[in-house]
Amino acid sequence: MIDPYYLQQLAIGLSQGVIYALMAIGFTLIFGVLNVVNFAHGEVYTVGAFAGLLLITAFAPPFLVVLFAVLAFGAALGFGLERIAFKPFRRFSDEASLKSRAMRESTLMSSLAVSIVVREGLEIGFGSQMQTLPFDYLINKPIELGPVTIVTGDVIIFAVAAVMLGGLQYLLKRTRIGLSIRAVSANPLGAKYVGIDTDRTIITTFALGSMMGAGAGILVGLYYGAIFPAMGFVPGIKAFVAMVMGGLSSIPGAVVCALLLGLSEGLATTFISSNWADMVAYGFLIVTLIFFPQGLFGAGRERV
Amino acid sequence: MTLTRRHLVALALAAPAAFALPAAAAETVKLGYQLPLTGNTAQYGQDFKTAAEIALARFNASGRIPAKVEIVFEDSRSDAKEGVTIARKFVDDEKIVGVLGDFTSGVSMAAAQVYKEAGMPQLSQTASHPDYTKISEWQFRNITTQAGEGPYNADWMVAKGYKKVAVIAEQTDWGQSVTKYFADEIAAKGGKVVLTEYFNRGLPDFRSLLTKIQREKPDAIYTGFFYEDAANFLKQMKQLGIAIPVYSTSAAHNQKVIELAGADAEGLSLTTNFLPNSPKPEVKEFVAEWVKVRGAEPGQFPAQAFDAVNIMLEAVVKTYPKSTRAAIRDALAATKDFPGVTGSTTFGADREPVKQLSKVRIVGGVFTPVAD
Repeated sequence: MIDPYYLQQLAIGLSQGVIYALMAIGFTLIFGVLNVVNFAHGEVYTVGAFAGLLLITAFAPPFLVVLFAVLAFGAALGFGLERIAFKPFRRFSDEASLKSRAMRESTLMSSLAVSIVVREGLEIGFGSQMQTLPFDYLINKPIELGPVTIVTGDVIIFAVAAVMLGGLQYLLKRTRIGLSIRAVSANPLGAKYVGIDTDRTIITTFALGSMMGAGAGILVGLYYGAIFPAMGFVPGIKAFVAMVMGGLSSIPGAVVCALLLGLSEGLATTFISSNWADMVAYGFLIVTLIFFPQGLFGAGRERV
Repeated sequence: MTLTRRHLVALALAAPAAFALPAAAAETVKLGYQLPLTGNTAQYGQDFKTAAEIALARFNASGRIPAKVEIVFEDSRSDAKEGVTIARKFVDDEKIVGVLGDFTSGVSMAAAQVYKEAGMPQLSQTASHPDYTKISEWQFRNITTQAGEGPYNADWMVAKGYKKVAVIAEQTDWGQSVTKYFADEIAAKGGKVVLTEYFNRGLPDFRSLLTKIQREKPDAIYTGFFYEDAANFLKQMKQLGIAIPVYSTSAAHNQKVIELAGADAEGLSLTTNFLPNSPKPEVKEFVAEWVKVRGAEPGQFPAQAFDAVNIMLEAVVKTYPKSTRAAIRDALAATKDFPGVTGSTTFGADREPVKQLSKVRIVGGVFTPVAD
């Protein structure tokens, strides 16, 4: 018989992992699968949470309405983000520019710039403190499962993450949009030559990924009851670690690694001090990079 | 034609200077205030700024000296490097005769090195690290350190019969002083610390830590955290169904704890030296002014900033019109029984404030003074 203490810690670790996974899915779709360097995903997450908060305080709609409104808003955010920080770098369509790594990677700076502007803007507008949320909207009502306690949010976040993961895998593997996303990520120039509308594909991917990012933001915001301008930073880092560990281009790989991160952090608190728990996650990243430079699930060449 | 235009330009350039000259002749006394106005800790800095503005407006309206006092606010972002840059800037401005801030002990101590070299009086409203005032004779603070609060809390808990205590604190210089002074006293009184843990400030999920605390079955938990971490901790504790009394320091004394955690904050006990519902006239006046600007009651930190600014202004009054940096320092050191909103303040020979602590518990959604 396992000590109920460890069962509880496992459950907590798992729920942490699912939260990281929720963030990692959208992040990996843009950064990993589409192969576009994007450091503004954390701010999409934050802005999604703030949009949900404004909606709740202004109209107090039912939970599902909030969720779907934020998803729609997230798609619009993705569209806007792509327009501001990414499209300008694709304005040259000659072969040299399309093949240029510098052009491709310069979005590192432009997306970082957008993320800083957005975060500081939110701080000026709302202040950097945590926003007060109506308690009815929080998804943290306890559920007792024998010796283990979880909360309603764990179930909701797990369901949403599962739907996202399943939906994306279907989209990428079985539909023409998915095929074009994979084509553009594998070889943008080649994709253009065979008649794929690369601009549209990239915009669609951004809208999808940001939709998931914004949805993750409001869900996690309501889960912890904590919405503040810097909230996207830590999940962004964790999603990045999960993506790299999972082999950059594999969404299921990122999800598995996100779960692994959450579990290891949860269990680490038992054996070492809580402030060292982060070290376990980054330790895993270093070990992965040394022994599996392709990531744990990145052996294949194709990006899905 | 060109001549006229040149004249116009010259006139335009000269006009502001002509207006500026008499203003400078009125000899404004300048003070510096370094504090985080942007970044992760901006909410605290913004509070200090509002408190300082209330204090300054009241002072300038009172006409106690025949000149205006001006405070120059600089944003340190709670970054030690920024703090040092600002300190150099303040030191280089010969008009600035005294400095308030910074917010955290780390930044205050980094900047203190500059003030020590240049001989600039520095009064922080919140830097509570024991070593801060030991840097030089120029450093003052308006907050009791954990050397006072820790033992006070330990005695309180022992008196309540709590012998086995779990201690958690944020992983900062301040957090370590929280656990150290508390643990020494409780051991001396026959109690026992069954678990000591540190966490990183802003940790979103305390549940692993809470489960670990629960396993040790302590009588009570003593905590060194600020109000946002406090709200998260208390909410998640309620989720997991853990019912252990929680004690904390004045750092968690903020109306936002109740706003963020709601009913889950009920029963949190802490020590403080500011009671917003105190009947004292100076407290009532400050709280009313604050509510006018912010809409909610102030916590302990803004009150400390308000007092710090007033103590500094008092030093300006005492030394005017010969308000030099050295004169201000001596006037600060001589502060005795200053009637502030956080109680009467006297600076000891070690430039530490001597203040009275009170016990407070959240009852029915309000910080309520309690006897035990």
